[in-house]
Amino acid sequence: MNINTVSIFLQTIVGGIGIGSLYALVALGYSMQYRSMGLVNFAQGSIYMIGTYFGIIWYQGMVMGLQVPYPIAFLIGIVLNMGLGLILERIFRPLANLDLMLMLLGTIGLGYVLDNMAIITWGAEGFAVKSPLPNTPIIIGGVALLPQMLLLIGVSAILMVGLTVFLSKAKIGKAMRAAASDRETASAMGIPVNTTNAVSFAIGCGLAAAAGILAAPIVYVNPAMGGPVGLKGFAAFILGGAGSIPGAIVGGLVFGVLEAVSAGFVSSAYTKGIAFVVMVVVLMFRPGGIVGEVTVDKV
Amino acid sequence: MFLDLEHLTMRFGGVVAVNDVTLSIGRGEIHGLIGPNGSGKTTIFNVVSGYYKPTSGKISFEGAQISGLPAHQITGRGFARTFQNLRLFKSMTVLDNVLVGMERHTKTSLWRAMLDPVATQREDKLLTEKAMSLLNLFGIAEFAHARATSLPYGNQRRVEMARALATDPKIVLLDEPASGLNETETDALRETLLKIRDSGVTIFIVEHDMKLVKSVCDSITVLDYGKKIAEGCYADVSRDQVVIEAYLGKEEDL
Repeated sequence: MNINTVSIFLQTIVGGIGIGSLYALVALGYSMQYRSMGLVNFAQGSIYMIGTYFGIIWYQGMVMGLQVPYPIAFLIGIVLNMGLGLILERIFRPLANLDLMLMLLGTIGLGYVLDNMAIITWGAEGFAVKSPLPNTPIIIGGVALLPQMLLLIGVSAILMVGLTVFLSKAKIGKAMRAAASDRETASAMGIPVNTTNAVSFAIGCGLAAAAGILAAPIVYVNPAMGGPVGLKGFAAFILGGAGSIPGAIVGGLVFGVLEAVSAGFVSSAYTKGIAFVVMVVVLMFRPGGIVGEVTVDKV
Repeated sequence: MFLDLEHLTMRFGGVVAVNDVTLSIGRGEIHGLIGPNGSGKTTIFNVVSGYYKPTSGKISFEGAQISGLPAHQITGRGFARTFQNLRLFKSMTVLDNVLVGMERHTKTSLWRAMLDPVATQREDKLLTEKAMSLLNLFGIAEFAHARATSLPYGNQRRVEMARALATDPKIVLLDEPASGLNETETDALRETLLKIRDSGVTIFIVEHDMKLVKSVCDSITVLDYGKKIAEGCYADVSRDQVVIEAYLGKEEDL
């Protein structure tokens, strides 16, 4: 391998981690909702898209011509999407107890509703978002890194660590883990399970918004942007281990890197194919996913 | 009385699981609920702890009606329970299981945890100490940091009871605490039950081990096919002809 191949390889890996962080944040949304409510939410892609708009419209001056700085638009988007999450949780609550087919139909249907609401509100045409950071790549050891990509990786990492600490340390985090583990027992411990579920759901929506707003300057913002990301986030959620927090992170990163490597070294035409084939193969040998929650049988 | 069930009926479709049961439990007593399998004991527990809304009838606790409240609010009034099949939080350690039980007494909100880490740490330390002393009471302190489900069965039962007491209840509902325990463990359980009662906590217990029931229960209610067929102290109930028939069948059946 000459030095050039090495740097192209590194470049590809970093790009994969960047896009993988995006998938990981979306996969965490699936996980938060699945572990708390037992709900697989196929509207997650649409929620990601709405969250992106919720932040970017402020940054782009689309709300009463206000020009809001990017970091503030980022926070507004997250808060608004969490609010949307609280409303959606109330709508999805009855679905969580139904069988899978109805859950699929219900969440996919609501996804369409959200997509079309976005079209009605913001138009079917998308737009490019100017990067809040300079567009000139930073070159480290022959690897050219886009500042926005570094921001995406950095902020995603902070959010993931933050979520993990929140779930293990904060009072409501512990209550959420208990409610995820056993709903009835948790309520016997005095935990208001419906409230903790709503918080889990809202956090999932907030993470999706964060992912979308961070990626917006790199991708093209439009009402159809949620579909592919929602699907890949779902693949990452399954690949890592449904309902597992570290699983969603690992699954997202693995999926992103696989995609980038197959695009860079095989052909971009096969990108999706290769990533999904790997997912299927992994699940054949580890049906619980890469990390999958370990369950110990009674002694 | 302390806890009153009045004409409680629980129907599931055409099945009457609990049929017009009235019973009262006094503060500080150990009240046994016994009866053949399928007589509605666990259903009564599930209704009292708020998992089911009774079809008819009323439950009041310390004079206030609690039937119809959601489970977590009933816990908030001072109820705790254990389950017939162990239901520990699988991915958590023994200590964390007990700490979850204490959650409702903590003041730490997320904001406070971020703004006042010192007070939060002090509270955490206090809670952990309290949890450890509960684990000590049940003789399982040495397993505090083990994954709860890795413990042998008898110890998992103890964790469940410790977790129930961690909510600082006025009354605990114990669903067959002696099931799966050997004789030595059952003896230890007896001591623990009496200790809990002496600390001022009322106990409502479903149990099949009659030796245990006889030695700890102050009063007993007997169910058969969802109906109350007898009540009183063990000596009276065990001599009751209807009870003997419910357990052994009528003489002509034999």
